[in-house]
Amino acid sequence: MRGLRIFGALMAGLWLAGCATQDPSGNNDPFENTNRAIFAFDDKLDQMFFLPGAEFYVNTVPEPVRDGVHNVLTNLDTPVTLANDFLQGELDRGGESMMRLVVNTTVGVGGIIDVATKIGIPYHEEDFGQTLGVWGVPEGPYLVLPLLGPDPPRDLGGGIVDIFLDPMTYINLREHTLWSAGRGFASTLDTRARNIDTLKEVRATSVDYYATIRSLYRQNRNNEIRNGKADIENLPNY
Amino acid sequence: MNKLRFSALPAIAALAGLLALTGQPAQAQPSAQAQSYVQQNIEKGLQILNDRSVPDAQRRQQFRNFLLSLTDIQRIANFTLGNARRTAAPQQVQAFDQAFKDYAISIYESRLSKYSGQTLKVTGATERAAGDYVVSTTLVDPNDADSRRNPLQVDFRVQTENGHFVIIDVAVAGVWLGIEERDQFASFLSEHNGDVGALARHLQGLTADLQSGKHPSDQPDNGEH
Repeated sequence: MRGLRIFGALMAGLWLAGCATQDPSGNNDPFENTNRAIFAFDDKLDQMFFLPGAEFYVNTVPEPVRDGVHNVLTNLDTPVTLANDFLQGELDRGGESMMRLVVNTTVGVGGIIDVATKIGIPYHEEDFGQTLGVWGVPEGPYLVLPLLGPDPPRDLGGGIVDIFLDPMTYINLREHTLWSAGRGFASTLDTRARNIDTLKEVRATSVDYYATIRSLYRQNRNNEIRNGKADIENLPNY
Repeated sequence: MNKLRFSALPAIAALAGLLALTGQPAQAQPSAQAQSYVQQNIEKGLQILNDRSVPDAQRRQQFRNFLLSLTDIQRIANFTLGNARRTAAPQQVQAFDQAFKDYAISIYESRLSKYSGQTLKVTGATERAAGDYVVSTTLVDPNDADSRRNPLQVDFRVQTENGHFVIIDVAVAGVWLGIEERDQFASFLSEHNGDVGALARHLQGLTADLQSGKHPSDQPDNGEH
């Protein structure tokens, strides 16, 4: 997944440099035609492989085991969250991340059990794309990438920085490639499995599925950047 | 610091008292009213959806009437169609307004019914401008430990209209439904040469699917655009 992300960033960079057109629609989506084509491709792959795979996973693997897998993956992501908490100047949240990492890795048996949430230190997630957002970097033109889905320049670049913020990148495991491929696979499966019903509903009730996902992606990212505080000032007038 | 705070306290109290006497509205009061408006009505809405003793069709009708009394669908329709309203033919706009009303109610019903059995807690309200509030709430499934620890964040945009409150938008986890609909409609129109009539027909089709009793997730692929 990582190699793919870096390759994606390089290709997107070349492509952005090659065709910097102005978007008259105000959607900040100057590559909409290409984005739509890639989105349709991603959606086909999703309907053919990822969705059935996620459904098979949910139907065959019992919930406590899936929760354990989710907890381990979340725990592995915690160092990146921790680094970004501090980069955003969120010292309290950074402290929480540190506590979560220590408690869940030890008492929670390598992250399988989310003990931290049970004792009142709830989960939160940060990434470098959000950190850039906090620093005032705009999202940039909307981009959809093959396999990765929506990934505008700020979040794409942020994802690459996160690779370098992740201690697992520097641990010289014998089977490093196999390990990171396995983690990427499990992470994709886990995320897809947790969104089966929501995405089905959005897909079936959308007037324009592409535009819905674009709106959801942007609103959701902005919400994450503000750590869940409602964006009161920038709401449109009715 | 403490001393200053104590000495300022009586002055603030006196000022507040003066404002009350001169009939100036206290800032906190309308916000509090907006909060209780959301609390009472959303609870009532969830109760209607929860009441399994009422036949499906009747419950749906009750919920529909209840929602219509709570919101101003025409204003939401105006917002979601945006500038296209000014350029499209009046018959097309009329068709859109009717189709949107049915679509919006079905969407609210479909999305809210997922939260039946859950409890809503108002956590605060902010007045953006005069008579324009965002009421923040959390939704919790009392039977789900995970949900109790990570409650779902739901915000309501409430405005005053002719002296009473109306809910004009709702955000789940920071995603405003009205904004999402406006974005979709704008995209649909730019893909269909600005044909508002085509949008109205498309909404009618989606509504028919939603109301046919099947859960939307059972629906087959409705095609790419």
